[in-house]
Amino acid sequence: MVSKEYLMGNEAMGRGAVEAGVKVATGYPGTPASEVLDYASKFPDVHVEWCINEKVALEIAMGASLCYSRAIAVMKHNGTNVALDFLMHLNYTGVRGGLVLISGDDPGGISSQNEEDSRIITHLDAHLPVFDPWCPQEAKDMVRMAFELSEKTELCFVVRPVMRVCHARSQVKLEEIATISKEPLFEDDRSRFIMSAVREPKAGGVLRPVLRHKWLNSKQPELSKIMADSPFNHVEEGEGSIGLVACGIGYAYVKEAEEILGKKFPILKLGTLPLPKEKVVKFAGKMDKLVVYEDSEAVVEGMLKELLYDEGIKVEVVGRSGFLPKEGELSTKVVLASLATLYPELENLIPETVPLEIKIPIRTRTQCIGCAYRGLLHALKLIAHKTHGVVTGDIGCYDAGSFLPLELQSTIYCMGSSIPMATGITYSGSKQPVFSIIGDSTLFHNGILGLLNAIHNAVDMVVIVCDNRTTAMTGFQPHPGSDTDISGKPVAAIDIAKLVTAAGATSARVINSYNIPEVTKALNKAVREKGVSVIVASSPCYLLGKRTGEIGFTPQKVSLNPDLCNGCKICIDYFGCPAIRFGDGKATIDQATCVDCGMCIAVCKRGAIT
Amino acid sequence: MNLNILIAGVGGQGNLFASSILAEYLINKGYQILAVETIGAAQRGGSVVSHLRVSDSDLYSPLIPAGEVDILMGFEILEMLRNFELLSTDGTYLLNDFKDPTVLCNMELDTYPSDESIMAALQKSGKKGYTIKATECAREIGNSLLTNVVMVGALCQLSPLFNSQEIKQVLAKKSPSKVREQNLKAFEAGGLLLQKATKAR
Repeated sequence: MVSKEYLMGNEAMGRGAVEAGVKVATGYPGTPASEVLDYASKFPDVHVEWCINEKVALEIAMGASLCYSRAIAVMKHNGTNVALDFLMHLNYTGVRGGLVLISGDDPGGISSQNEEDSRIITHLDAHLPVFDPWCPQEAKDMVRMAFELSEKTELCFVVRPVMRVCHARSQVKLEEIATISKEPLFEDDRSRFIMSAVREPKAGGVLRPVLRHKWLNSKQPELSKIMADSPFNHVEEGEGSIGLVACGIGYAYVKEAEEILGKKFPILKLGTLPLPKEKVVKFAGKMDKLVVYEDSEAVVEGMLKELLYDEGIKVEVVGRSGFLPKEGELSTKVVLASLATLYPELENLIPETVPLEIKIPIRTRTQCIGCAYRGLLHALKLIAHKTHGVVTGDIGCYDAGSFLPLELQSTIYCMGSSIPMATGITYSGSKQPVFSIIGDSTLFHNGILGLLNAIHNAVDMVVIVCDNRTTAMTGFQPHPGSDTDISGKPVAAIDIAKLVTAAGATSARVINSYNIPEVTKALNKAVREKGVSVIVASSPCYLLGKRTGEIGFTPQKVSLNPDLCNGCKICIDYFGCPAIRFGDGKATIDQATCVDCGMCIAVCKRGAIT
Repeated sequence: MNLNILIAGVGGQGNLFASSILAEYLINKGYQILAVETIGAAQRGGSVVSHLRVSDSDLYSPLIPAGEVDILMGFEILEMLRNFELLSTDGTYLLNDFKDPTVLCNMELDTYPSDESIMAALQKSGKKGYTIKATECAREIGNSLLTNVVMVGALCQLSPLFNSQEIKQVLAKKSPSKVREQNLKAFEAGGLLLQKATKAR
């Protein structure tokens, strides 16, 4: 009997890697893909590691692959950008042990700064094969098969699940865990693994990059052949001459639409890049029109147009290039609406939805109640205001300081951008003082390079490192500043203050972010200094600390004296703890949600909070 | 058999635990389950929606399509209202009478809808449903974090699909020993709250 386990897509992919006999599993946390490694970490035979960033993760995985070990690197789409430089070389060299890259996409930007489609860089740019799963079971099957095919073709295989596949939970079939008998060994092959602009004697002096590019191109027919027979592509018969091309998660929504409408459409289900050419041509040949459902860019749509043009097949192809919305995530609603424009008679079969007649306030993100960053953000807001300073932001929990009420950070781009952007602001000639606020994990990830650059060039700026000892936003993964690894094993924690001091920062003040007067004093001093002044605002993440017993404050019951409150709202507009409520001109403490951190006592200038 | 349950709440209210209790029970019963959480970037305080789909045949979209939700559980009022449009014409809502004000409401840039306007909007929708004081009940038992279990207890009175005794066994099994007794108490209290609410109708 086949056993089944109720798994989320990420866990299913972790399972797929473990079943395939993966030896090394690396990554950097990022929603939607974080839980893949958590699953793999339960298996002691697998070396699982949260790395400093995605490029390092992919490079480590490749090192293992060169010794014929199976390896996987896991990241979100933004992270794949970070790893892209290395990816653009390993595609030329090829791999030895099966190498799989999981690049989790977030169409709709639900938990990301953009809604990039990483099929573009991994397939259209790097020319690597990509699997695009529609459900947790297929995601697992794809990861498992990707290892086999990677070894067979000597190419890194990419699995690109979208958030809804990563986070979906269903019963997934478990299979045996493979035992890999090949002994790991590094063997030289410099013509492959030295990627350099050198003339290749054995190839009559052709430059190696051209030669390896040629090798990559020569692999494409082999890949096309594999995809032609892939179980991840199939055709379903249906009524009419409009073919629905359902890619990845698009298949789930198209099938759902069929269920709702009680109708069968001709469907070409696709899960692979390159495309299964013969299947596509045969399917398209019978249709007047193809509608391509894919998240999130018109990748397959464009590829189909090219392929069908070359084949001389005249069929209209529409999809995310304009017929369907160009932005945002695909959904059953989007599929149904598109079908209703193609088949107006279906309109009345679409479930009716009537919005409530009431205005529903939006819920913006803020720091958790008890989060030390709130005190830090509050103090920084007041000083930035006083000094007319500019605060550049970065990626992490503290980024909520950029929204109302604080509206502190003026820029947020990608991991590590805060410090270089602040550097540029000073170079512009602007006389405004600059502050960069960056988290511990983000500093290690990529921020450190901008910081070293600023120190080296003696840029006048204050860098505030939000050090809560964990990668909190993605679920408390350790980073190089943590003293335990993913499995709980003790590891060397890199001391941020020592690191920046050694690099030559003007100062490195370690302060407790819960202590607002201490934070304010440190900021006031730092802003007057020349060169790069670093403040390490250190205190453990409250949510994590509640689990581990290490919280950064001594709990104290706070109360608010309504007679002393004059309704100035500094605690609301410049602090914004959700446990402080405001109404009828006065603030109150909601004791049910207050966690007794006591930070607000220092916020109230009238001494109403004690 | 098809049943779509949507749980709308705020981060930290324990949507996932509630969903996982129901999922495990239904899997034991031999049903297929497809579930998904939609969460924003933050750990706490943001909107969290759990979709739980149950069927005796194949399931496709992890997100319940708009207008196909059979039972809409609101752990927080605004969050239920926000997802109300997804409820099917003959669907049922189960609302916890609990308000978690938003940042903008606290700043007086937004207004949390009044009880009267909420009641009026729900009534006008013509949808049937129940409102219970699950958080208040959870606090009486000892911890507002038990809200999710009170709500699951109430839900189990809503559909013959749920056998309270069997779900209690799953709950007992999945509860950490420290909170097992409280969880079971909260579950029963939730059932009683709904029975009272049904009688009141």
